[in-house]
Amino acid sequence: MSGVGGLPRRIIKETQRLMAEPVPGISAVPDENNARYFHVVVAGPEGSPFEGGVFKLELFLPEEYPMSAPKVRFLTKIYHPNVDKLGRICLDILKDKWSPALQIRTVLLSIQALLSAPNPDDPLQNDVAELWKVNEAEALRNAREWTRLYAMGN
Amino acid sequence: MGNCFWKIMGNCFSSPTSDDISLLRGSNERMGPRDSTISDHLGPPPPYVSHEDEDHAYMYFPSPNVSRPASQLTEEEQIRIAKRIGLIQHLPSGVYDGSKKIRECVICMIEFVVGDHVRYLPCMHTYHVDCIDDWLMRSLTCPSCMEPVESALLTSYETN
Repeated sequence: MSGVGGLPRRIIKETQRLMAEPVPGISAVPDENNARYFHVVVAGPEGSPFEGGVFKLELFLPEEYPMSAPKVRFLTKIYHPNVDKLGRICLDILKDKWSPALQIRTVLLSIQALLSAPNPDDPLQNDVAELWKVNEAEALRNAREWTRLYAMGN
Repeated sequence: MGNCFWKIMGNCFSSPTSDDISLLRGSNERMGPRDSTISDHLGPPPPYVSHEDEDHAYMYFPSPNVSRPASQLTEEEQIRIAKRIGLIQHLPSGVYDGSKKIRECVICMIEFVVGDHVRYLPCMHTYHVDCIDDWLMRSLTCPSCMEPVESALLTSYETN
């Protein structure tokens, strides 16, 4: 599928398609020195407490890709029950529900959807998830505050 | 260069390497370079063995996120993997003839070309044999519809 040390055709194709038809609200740009490393920016979805925020992430395609999932991490601090302090994301398709039919595009869409619909029943950051369940209004306030503090104006 | 040549030709003509000859004779002594000329006088050469595979041990996947070389698998894992290999080999395969609407293998994202070896899963999703077998060794599910291949196989046996 690729020459020794070369980039698999699939990665080249996915990158070209991402450039030609970007996902609305998301930008993913390959690093100029490493075509497997993408600089990702996701706009906080409308109607979510992350609205107005701009969230930076990093996405890395491991050697085994697409047999194993991309590694994705938030670089911008975010108050979300499924994202931990280190920016790691609890999302089934990045773990046991990965399939090689999924793509960078579908992964980023899923992360965008996770911002619109946090899932406190499958938490990664327990204190955030707990508050989300017992006092959603306060959790939403915190999420909006963090968005303002860390995801705006940079 | 010579090495590459033998590797390429080896696939076609099963040419021996000096290591293969020493194996044939049961000799434990390391053979000198001049011994390679002996191969001209030997009978049919032994089957070609790719020494590359020995250097990079092939990894197996007892579960999707766990990869280990064969030497580090438990007996139970070995049996499970052997069964899996058997099952994969029984899945129907064929040669892409261009008659189907599918254009692209979603795993490698390369368009099917007439003559490509393809495999059909029970759900009728089609992939390149190499692409899908690599995945099925990790997870017995269809990448496109996530249908478990084993149960789908059983259902198709029952209905037929």
